[in-house]
Amino acid sequence: MRIRTSQQQALKQGPQMAPMIDIVFQLLIFFLLTLKIVEPEGEFQINMPVNKPPQASSDIALPAIKVRLLANEDGSLRGIQFGERNLGGGPDAFKRLNQVILQTVGADQASGGAASETEIEIDADYNLDYAYTIRAVSACTGAIDPQTNLPVRYVEKIKFTPPKRPAANGTPNL
Amino acid sequence: MRIKLTKLSVREVDMTPMIDIVFQLIAFFMVINNFEQSQVDERVKLPRDQLARPREDVAEDNVVLNIGYIRDKEGNITSQPLVFYLGEQTPLLEFGPVIQREARVLQRLDQKIGETTVEIRADGEVDTGQIQEVIRMAQDAGFLKFTLKAMQGDQEP
Repeated sequence: MRIRTSQQQALKQGPQMAPMIDIVFQLLIFFLLTLKIVEPEGEFQINMPVNKPPQASSDIALPAIKVRLLANEDGSLRGIQFGERNLGGGPDAFKRLNQVILQTVGADQASGGAASETEIEIDADYNLDYAYTIRAVSACTGAIDPQTNLPVRYVEKIKFTPPKRPAANGTPNL
Repeated sequence: MRIKLTKLSVREVDMTPMIDIVFQLIAFFMVINNFEQSQVDERVKLPRDQLARPREDVAEDNVVLNIGYIRDKEGNITSQPLVFYLGEQTPLLEFGPVIQREARVLQRLDQKIGETTVEIRADGEVDTGQIQEVIRMAQDAGFLKFTLKAMQGDQEP
């Protein structure tokens, strides 16, 4: 009987790569198919306390700064009012709002107030597009420092007025 | 002259570089794949803003409300404003009972409603008044903390 001595075959024996490559390719295809490119999202925190009766406190809360956002019929921005001041409309309206807020908060801080105590109340028309409201929230919150390119926040507390549904004749229900 | 006789051997492809690259690819896709965005609804077109930054701490308990419209292929709005929540789409003004039910479920799970953050992911074309309506419904259900989501980037003109 002839015995085969396959020295060459013995030398070739190593770990089987084929199953591992199969699995690795399966994983690769899975990750390729499940890949979702999601843009980074940010957020603004708003302060919406439920209306409660005022509690006895030694601290006197500063009155909220009122920002009124007026809308056209199509939901675009018609103008901004800061307290009694009319800041107008147009693409630079939010820049003007931001500057006025910065001046006001600066004046409050100069008179001993803290930025964390300043509160802004946004009163927007019911039909105003939400994108404009976010821009107003952003303009009230702070700005990007041009030197460091980092956000600087002036105001921590921002709240909304209760919704005022327009009546059938188009005037808002107060 | 002496001639060298070389042994004929089976040539094998060197797999090592390919496996290196494939593992690098798998690691890359694993890292960039975001499995946490399961509550995000792609139908909602968030407004953009430079100041919108992700929060530094991780919110443990949150309720994500996606508010938007159904649009056709051209991007035209074909529905009334809807709240997309847990696979259901509810007309915005009828969302009150849904958020009340959610609050009851969270209470049964021993979660503090007042500590739970309501994340509002709303389409830029939804009326502000309707977002305020949703906030009021959530307040009526006992929620106190709210955040407004926006995409990071320059504002659209």
